[in-house]
Amino acid sequence: MGIQSAGSAAGRGSSVGGQVLLVVLAACFLPSSSRAQQKPVALKGGRLLTVSHGVIENGVLLMSSGKITALGASGSVTIPKSAQVIDVTGMTVYPGLIDSESYLGLTEISAEQSTNDLIETSDEIMPHMHVYDAFHAESELIAVARLNGITNAIVAPQSQDTLPGQDSFIQLDGRSASDMLRVRDIALPLNFTGEQRRNESWEKRKFPETRMGLAAQLRQTFLDAQDYADRWAEYEKKKTEAAAKPEDKKAPPSPLKHDLKLESLLPYLQGKKPIVLAAQQPSDLETAVGLARQFNLKFVLNHISHSQTVLDYVANLKVPVIVGPIYEDPKNYERYDAVYKLPAELYKRGVKIAFASYDAHAVRNLPYAAGYATAFGLPHDEALKAITLNPAEIWGVADQLGSLDVGKTANVVVADGDPLDVKSDVKRVFVAGREMPMTSRQTELRDRYSQP
Amino acid sequence: MGRSTPLFLLAVLASLPVRVWAQPGAAPPSHQEVLIKNAVVMTVTRGNIQNGSVYIKDGKIAAVGKDVSAPSSATVMDAGGKYLTPGIIDSHSHIALDDDVNEATSPITPQMMMIDAFDYQDKAIYRGLAGGVTTSLLLHGSANMIGGQAVVIKHKYGARRDAMLFPGAPRSIKFASGENPKRVYGSRDQLPSTRMGNFAVQRAALVEAQDYMREWDDYNAKVKRGDKDAKAPKHDLKLEALAEVLRGKLLVQIHCYRADELLTEMAMAKEFGYKVRAFHHALEAYKVADELAAQGVAIATFSDWWGYKQEAWDAIPWNAVISMRRNVRVAIKSDSEDFARRLNQEAAKTMRYGGATEEEALKMITINPAWIIGVDDRVGSIEVGKDADLVIWDGYPLSSFGVPDKVLIDGEVYFDRSLPGFGMPHYREGE
Repeated sequence: MGIQSAGSAAGRGSSVGGQVLLVVLAACFLPSSSRAQQKPVALKGGRLLTVSHGVIENGVLLMSSGKITALGASGSVTIPKSAQVIDVTGMTVYPGLIDSESYLGLTEISAEQSTNDLIETSDEIMPHMHVYDAFHAESELIAVARLNGITNAIVAPQSQDTLPGQDSFIQLDGRSASDMLRVRDIALPLNFTGEQRRNESWEKRKFPETRMGLAAQLRQTFLDAQDYADRWAEYEKKKTEAAAKPEDKKAPPSPLKHDLKLESLLPYLQGKKPIVLAAQQPSDLETAVGLARQFNLKFVLNHISHSQTVLDYVANLKVPVIVGPIYEDPKNYERYDAVYKLPAELYKRGVKIAFASYDAHAVRNLPYAAGYATAFGLPHDEALKAITLNPAEIWGVADQLGSLDVGKTANVVVADGDPLDVKSDVKRVFVAGREMPMTSRQTELRDRYSQP
Repeated sequence: MGRSTPLFLLAVLASLPVRVWAQPGAAPPSHQEVLIKNAVVMTVTRGNIQNGSVYIKDGKIAAVGKDVSAPSSATVMDAGGKYLTPGIIDSHSHIALDDDVNEATSPITPQMMMIDAFDYQDKAIYRGLAGGVTTSLLLHGSANMIGGQAVVIKHKYGARRDAMLFPGAPRSIKFASGENPKRVYGSRDQLPSTRMGNFAVQRAALVEAQDYMREWDDYNAKVKRGDKDAKAPKHDLKLEALAEVLRGKLLVQIHCYRADELLTEMAMAKEFGYKVRAFHHALEAYKVADELAAQGVAIATFSDWWGYKQEAWDAIPWNAVISMRRNVRVAIKSDSEDFARRLNQEAAKTMRYGGATEEEALKMITINPAWIIGVDDRVGSIEVGKDADLVIWDGYPLSSFGVPDKVLIDGEVYFDRSLPGFGMPHYREGE
């Protein structure tokens, strides 16, 4: 069970020399199976928000061997005798939530630098950084997020570099990091928000201190990667030729030196994996999109919080948008709700959206951002979809996650109310069919000091 | 008045036994009469009134109830069954201060007056207003053990500076402790760089203020006796401000995280004879809630922020409710331009984490922060005689889904979501 694309994502990497290296890595990092669900569990009597096919009142959901094996109205599902039956009457049952950008496992205490592995800022071009190399599976933050029903998340490096390194997709339970890292190197962020300029102070100014510099550096990088691919292809060709005609007694070509930076860009240049293209204002958005088009990059958009005036242009790009955070302050010239209503405006234009916490400690608040967007016009069902099925589709894991459907991984949440409301208390969380303990370092402190 | 001549100040203070020093500003009262009807009136202090009405006269609440008679001249606002609450009060804010939040050049700067930096045109005031905030306490930052004196504003965006000041609000002073002062000065290899240094610096300043106060007391006694040779001591703004702390003329608001430091600050207050009004952040209050309650010290805390620094590592989202159940007066505050825009949602989290009732949650962003600021006799609930600072909500305010529809301050509509542009009848861009 689980999402088996970790190996394949890397293995598919490139058709050139780099492939050899990537395949080796993939073999090392194939996820082992998660802790297994011991016996079937039936959740009985709840209100099932399937996300994919509406709401089932007084439903039954059956989980076995880590998968959802049956669901339907009460009476329509046969519960095996061996199953543990949990009465969830009056409760809401919904798929585990998916955070489309978090820093889980890369930080513990923000101000304590020794606990941070968020980004390498020594260079702007760092696509060969892999968050899985830093991911700290024992982070106290993970249980805190999971307690609010977040079961999966993108882990991304922070955004001060144009190419800060590659994201991984995690499941918030597992024996070890390799267990939790479901898809390594799932996507590559490309940040173009102005924040990447090296213009902090006059003393610290260096190239690239302008957007021109950032864009030129990016173009050169992708050209170098293309050239690198070409040279490896040429090498492979010569090698094959030499091998095919040993009678020529030609010396085999000497292989090229590996360049990790350029090699890590190849799957993206070949359109095999998505770039997560971050921009805020229209001018940056258009520059970034232009760049992506120049190199035929497959991309999803990120943020675009201050691009309200070009939403039709955004819709015409026909790509999904990781939107927000909707709590981003509007610019002074913008109305107070300019960012709040962005999800609704994108939805109206047919854009597939997903929410993200863009945080580590506040991952647990992901559903509330989706809820707040409904106060500014986003339909409630779409808000829930934007933290379940939409991100599953965007990240290529919808065959496994994102809705209550037979055959999917049993990441299931039980709460005493609307998943998007701050007042709703999450009562149970299942990851791959296993019921999670509803404890964290925080509940332990609560319990210790609640005693009189 | 806020910056009166020191001599005047000391002389007057000596004769003012109870009331703390108030900030200036006189709100020109609106003479418009308004009747808000057909609302679920959440009074905060006297329960909810279904299908209730509020009659506003001269900027004040003149009547509240199911059947309220108002003259036919009153403008009628039909709330259409929506919720009506008092305006939200943010007891910890640093908006509208540009980058002038910290005078981080000395750990003791009580003579800093935040009003001198108050940028009344900052759009953050508008964005808070659109989130239902009508009153904010703008505090000095936490770089210094003793920072500056706060300013209390009403969010009347579009008005001139002095019209935004909360008239007659008591003055507050900001203290801080813990990581921030020791980091700021420690990173420059100055005192303080430890918590020992923090409290030593604070104690030394208060001892100096005691001496200063004694000099002035001696001088005043001599003058009273008719001693013509009495020589006035030199005025020192810093020590005069601290003398006001010792005389109980300023509300002391202390940035403090760890349980041990909450206790140390209370012990220091006892030692020097001043009262702590509230601990701000107070993320470990739940560990010493009984001690806080015994001293009558309130807390202004976050709903669920944690882990951003070491002293926030033991923060738990149940802090507010555990403390409240032990009789601590609790406010949820923003400390953030962002969170100030949705304090209702933050307060609602206390219903989930610990099971606060609707009224208890609402108190944490209305009457309790009003008490912390010292204006609970003026705002923070819907009661006759109080300022007509009110919010009509779209949706249920204590949820993810409630947002302000209209916000009134002193009986006038300052924000109306249905209006185009910025949604402010009193402000138009470029005019």
